[in-house]
Amino acid sequence: MTSTVETTTTRPAGPPAAPPSRLRRTVRTSEFTLVTLAVIGFVALTLTTDGNMLSAGTLAAFFRFLAVPMIIGLAQMVVLAIGQMNLSVGVLTGFCAMVAAWAMLEAGLPAPLAVAGAMLLGAAVGLGNGLLVVFTRINAFIVTLATMTIIDGLRYGVNGPGTYQDYSAGLAELGQASVLGLPVVFLIACAVAAMVWFFFARTVPGRHLLASGGSPFAARLSGVSNDRSIVLAHALSGLLAGVAAVLTLAQSGSVNATIGDDLLLPSFAAPIIGGVALAGGVVSVLGTCLAAFIVRLVDVAQAQFAINRRWVDLIVGAVVLGVVLSGAIRAKLSRRSS
Amino acid sequence: MKQEDTTPEQPPPARLPLWANPRIGLVVLLIALIALFTTLRPAFLNTQLTLVPMQADISVYAVVGLSQLAVLSLGHMNMAVGRMAAMSAFASGLLHDRLDAPLILALAGGLAMGALLGALAGLIIAHTGVNSFVVTLALDFALIGLVSLLYATFTDGVAFNGLPAGMSALRTDTFADYCAGDVCGPEIPLLAPIALIAVLVVGLLFRWSRTGREVLMAGSNAKAAQLSGIPVRLRTIQAHALSGLLAGLAGFLLSANNGSFSAGVGDGFLLPSFLAPVLGGTLLVGGAVSVLGTVLGTAITQVIYKGLNLLQFQVDELKLYIGLVLLAALSLDRVRHVLAERRGVPA
Repeated sequence: MTSTVETTTTRPAGPPAAPPSRLRRTVRTSEFTLVTLAVIGFVALTLTTDGNMLSAGTLAAFFRFLAVPMIIGLAQMVVLAIGQMNLSVGVLTGFCAMVAAWAMLEAGLPAPLAVAGAMLLGAAVGLGNGLLVVFTRINAFIVTLATMTIIDGLRYGVNGPGTYQDYSAGLAELGQASVLGLPVVFLIACAVAAMVWFFFARTVPGRHLLASGGSPFAARLSGVSNDRSIVLAHALSGLLAGVAAVLTLAQSGSVNATIGDDLLLPSFAAPIIGGVALAGGVVSVLGTCLAAFIVRLVDVAQAQFAINRRWVDLIVGAVVLGVVLSGAIRAKLSRRSS
Repeated sequence: MKQEDTTPEQPPPARLPLWANPRIGLVVLLIALIALFTTLRPAFLNTQLTLVPMQADISVYAVVGLSQLAVLSLGHMNMAVGRMAAMSAFASGLLHDRLDAPLILALAGGLAMGALLGALAGLIIAHTGVNSFVVTLALDFALIGLVSLLYATFTDGVAFNGLPAGMSALRTDTFADYCAGDVCGPEIPLLAPIALIAVLVVGLLFRWSRTGREVLMAGSNAKAAQLSGIPVRLRTIQAHALSGLLAGLAGFLLSANNGSFSAGVGDGFLLPSFLAPVLGGTLLVGGAVSVLGTVLGTAITQVIYKGLNLLQFQVDELKLYIGLVLLAALSLDRVRHVLAERRGVPA
């Protein structure tokens, strides 16, 4: 899947091909597979729970807790686009959330300022990651491993083991609000995803970023600054982690130093299931969001059937392995047939 | 750093100046850190309180570092070190709990479990060509779930009750407890020689054995290795199996150190597994490893942990400083590299 997805990503649609092959191409895309999987999973879950899934409360909760995994997956995806990784996304989310809560409660800042501050902080830390990678030429995996450790310490340092709650009535209201049955936090996440899609599909820096990821050498020969792409990708990843922090603040009502601990592995799972190549140069915003949706389905199934929480990890791991294997097999088959 | 790559027929163009050898720098840093902590807290040199537990910790985490190093030699990663350790600790515990296996058999079962899991990861990576990061990450995900489920099924909670005979001695005794006449051994925990054997075997493997050299060649350039008749797939599987085996050994050592086979074994392995080899000068791109550097890297990390602990730093500050030290060490290494390049010395 990682190799076949090349033609299906956010690049602008090419000249329309003959109708049958176009249908075939659509069916063959990884997004189509994911949509099918998501629909089948959703319907199956609805049927097996006697429609409980469709009741307003369950549905709203489903989408409310989909928002953060979506954004965190995108935050990882942006860095994967240049063929690098950001191990600090999870702890950075927690750190931004803690700092924003501290700003509202202890420093007395109004909520909008704290929200902007959280996003700025995320972007600044991401910028720092990017600059470190560019100036030291150390592998991004190692740089973000080090900054992950540092931020982990800082995150705990904000309030120790204590919990912040009741920081802002407005934010809490936003976290619980719905429009047409859909939670506002989910709509915000969708809007952010649309912006990320637009960035990669239609803007010059986004296209440059993908070019750098696809082939740094070719990008440099075409006048694209790889260093700028790297810094931009890491800053954007940090910004998205900041957004995830704000959404967490809004929906959970209380934050402590463990926020973000369980986000690192899902941040990789969503893009990888979604068909983003680790080698860089390829992104799939829709695929990443759909993968987050599918992982969420597994989560809900666990809650509905009161299964041991640990089955979720096992299943998600098996799904990632399965997707990876089937992608490799499919690539092998298509190579043989052509 | 890459001196392991130079072939014996080709004399190196210029002798490495002393300051350009990263391992000398690590030794100096280690001595400086010990001196610093000793002046701040004389208790740092207290044998019972600090030195013996620290040696046990270094033994455990040196093996963890080697486990990662085994796949870094290929330019691969093993994100599942911790869970492989947990699974093999489970296998050891189960063997003892159900079959009443003695210590050696329990250890062998654990190591076999680790090696099998590693080989499975290697098999998938070698035959599909999928990035090792993805495969081992997914494996880690799956094993996290499996480990807790297995412990929930086979034990009352998250740990086995009993321990094989002799395992608690590994935890509490040092060689000073064993005397021949009037002569007693040094104050070294019984775990240390086990780790030392692992270090020696891995060091010899990558320096002198055909298999080890071929793994390094495959890591440095897989295509060239393939064309020179090296069975790259087999070597990939072997390197991952070695990584799993060492992870299993680390799981056993930590269980011995903790005094139980529990589900939490290996939870904190991921970060140290990368810290030690990277501090020691092993590259992520593959083709070069430094076993001695890994041991030194582990020693430095553990000295910092213990020292800051004695100075009553909080957990969060500990993490902060470990991260900063890692960044500083890597940046210094980079500076050293650039300086050496300028002088025309390969470093």
